[in-house]
Amino acid sequence: MDFHFTEEQRILRKTARDFLEANCSASFVLEMEKDEKGYKEDLWLKMSELGWMGLIIPEEYDGVGGNLLDLVVMFEEMGRVCLPGPFFSTIALGALSIMESADDGLKSEFLPAISRGELKLTMAHEEPDFTRYDPYSVGLKAIKKGDAFLLSGTKMFVPDAHVADSIICVARTDGQPPARYGLSLFIVDAGSKGLNLRPLKTMAGDKQFEVSFNDVRVSKGALLGRLDRGSDLLDSILRKAVVCKCAEMLGGAQKVLEMASGYAKEREQFGKPIGSFQAVQHHCANMLIDIEGSRYLIYKVAWLLSQGIPAVMETAACKSWVSEAFKKVVSLGHQVQGATAYMIEHDMPLYSRRARIAEMSLGDGRYHRTVVASQLGL
Amino acid sequence: MDFGYSREEEEYRERLCRFLDENLTEEIARQNWEDRGVGSEGREFSRKLAAYGFLGMSWPKEYGGKGLSPTYEFILLDELGKRWGCHVPLDVGYTMVGPTILRRGSEALKSEFLPRIIEGEIEFCLGYTEPNSGSDLASMQMKAVEEGDYFIVNGQKTFNTECHYSEYHWLAARTDQSRGAPKYKGISLFIVDMDSPGITIRPLWTMSGERTNEVYYDNVKVPRHRMVGEKNMGFYYMMEAIGSERNQVFIPMRLYSLLQELVQYARDTHHNGRPLAEDPLVRDRLAQAAIELEVARVLADHSRWLESNHMPLSYEPEITKIFTSEMEQRLVDTGMQLLGAFGLLMEDSPRVPMRGRLAWYYLHSFMTTIGAGTSEIGRSVIAQRGLGLPRSY
Repeated sequence: MDFHFTEEQRILRKTARDFLEANCSASFVLEMEKDEKGYKEDLWLKMSELGWMGLIIPEEYDGVGGNLLDLVVMFEEMGRVCLPGPFFSTIALGALSIMESADDGLKSEFLPAISRGELKLTMAHEEPDFTRYDPYSVGLKAIKKGDAFLLSGTKMFVPDAHVADSIICVARTDGQPPARYGLSLFIVDAGSKGLNLRPLKTMAGDKQFEVSFNDVRVSKGALLGRLDRGSDLLDSILRKAVVCKCAEMLGGAQKVLEMASGYAKEREQFGKPIGSFQAVQHHCANMLIDIEGSRYLIYKVAWLLSQGIPAVMETAACKSWVSEAFKKVVSLGHQVQGATAYMIEHDMPLYSRRARIAEMSLGDGRYHRTVVASQLGL
Repeated sequence: MDFGYSREEEEYRERLCRFLDENLTEEIARQNWEDRGVGSEGREFSRKLAAYGFLGMSWPKEYGGKGLSPTYEFILLDELGKRWGCHVPLDVGYTMVGPTILRRGSEALKSEFLPRIIEGEIEFCLGYTEPNSGSDLASMQMKAVEEGDYFIVNGQKTFNTECHYSEYHWLAARTDQSRGAPKYKGISLFIVDMDSPGITIRPLWTMSGERTNEVYYDNVKVPRHRMVGEKNMGFYYMMEAIGSERNQVFIPMRLYSLLQELVQYARDTHHNGRPLAEDPLVRDRLAQAAIELEVARVLADHSRWLESNHMPLSYEPEITKIFTSEMEQRLVDTGMQLLGAFGLLMEDSPRVPMRGRLAWYYLHSFMTTIGAGTSEIGRSVIAQRGLGLPRSY
């Protein structure tokens, strides 16, 4: 048992914190919410120069060769400043998919370019029928035609599709939704004929899209993993992406707590700092309790996954818990900071809006509790 | 970051599990958990735990311990807890009193008491709370006045559990009566023989059937050498021990068996021909309980890790305590809703499910957020020590 980060991880955190504080202010985040593209290419390139795109990519593919815990540290820091842009899509959904697929050809084709910051990816998974999240209720069809597949159907909530060079698409090659069997993953060139994007307007101004596939042709070389048996691959990708999303939420929650407790120490009413009142103290304590539980559960899951242990139960527990915890933390953060934090230019709304986006991303608490229930033997 | 156990630790766990599967019964677990009084079965189990070498793993060799990491103690507490919420039968001596004697006691006290604690022979009861000193513990009024080689002790304690079967009272009393002295600077700790003349014990019965006690001291003579550490330093000794005590008492795995029994109940019990386990609401509630147990476990692992590596304990064990005790109440509520009217049945009722354990857990669960410090005091401690907010009391 050891809760210490390595020296390298501590340096990584410090570098990320310093860089992001200098380059990603709250006003920048607000500006990017309104910006059509939603990020700045020069910031992307600077992050790439720091080696962040290649952090988790093996050295043989021009990466840094880090592990999932390194990536967790990075996402915590990104979540802390609500970093806009396609980093999560490219790395947690894109690079990790290709790495998990264990396809050497695809790895050589994509990973070095991702590492160099030249390639952006995303994943198209959810669909209009995902009125309740269920990763296997995919209906988008991929029909084999000679040496190729034709993809037809509609995807929803695809992050950063407007800037992605390639889209990993979860498609049905056999059976009917919600069967686990019959799913296949394809990597689709975003410039393919028959692909259409419609931007969705979310409450956080992040960039999500409806992506329709109208007989989009992909070669059989674009298949990630095995035909019809993509669910196992999808599960292992999503477990890692989930812990990254949780780390992002943790960073945000920690920042909210710092704002709230800082305010409670400074703000005076009845001649005393409001932080000396037990009602306010207990709000702050509740935030810390939820954050500490989230923190160690995330680190444990990242450690388990990095050991090659599937950790199905723990990962689902983690997403369910952290999604709920982040929501509770932003509610209490608002309550402690009163009307001032309700103003649009205050930093708080950045987090309270993102808490809801993150909750729904990669499955909400309700869905993940169904996974836990099955794991319990129910 | 490493959440694993070493090979030696895993081997210890395996050996321990084999021993517990052969020797531990629900009756023994309940004698301690329910404070029914550790009877002959519990005492025998305690001696066996010691004889087979499962006690004292982290204690110094000169007093009969093995001088290893406290991680072994936590493995012991987890494996006991998994089995009907069991704990070390004589737990006050083993997890609370012993460590303070080790830190602060004289050589004579160490040699007199530590080996017998590690052998599973003796038990202590805590003598802290008084009728007018609960959360504000430092305001205690029980007096110990020095007279030659003795202290003469007078006053009253209340909610002193375990006193009716312990050999010794671990007593905190006021030794500085001067006015104006800060209240927490005038308290000393004593080890008192429970059969000393002048001690009267009166039972108090709790709503869940446990026995606790009022204890009256009428001119009780306590030898000077039975004072622990320095005079007037007792309150500091109590506070420096509190983090470790929380680590050893609030064991999330003690709730594991209740959760497992509820899962089993949901699988085995039918409504309209279908198992309750297929009801989405039942699944959601039990999954939530399992998730909270995971959270409680990592919180405990973190504060245990601090202790095992001799790092300062601050607000962390308080978080473990609050989270674990409050999750127990939520788990019990989930269980009560799952069992419906059958959850109301006590253990000797016809048609009682789960041996009536759930009804007992419900009645018991009110104590967990009060005993050993209320959740409210705990949250202020977390806010002040963990976040640096100003003092509120």
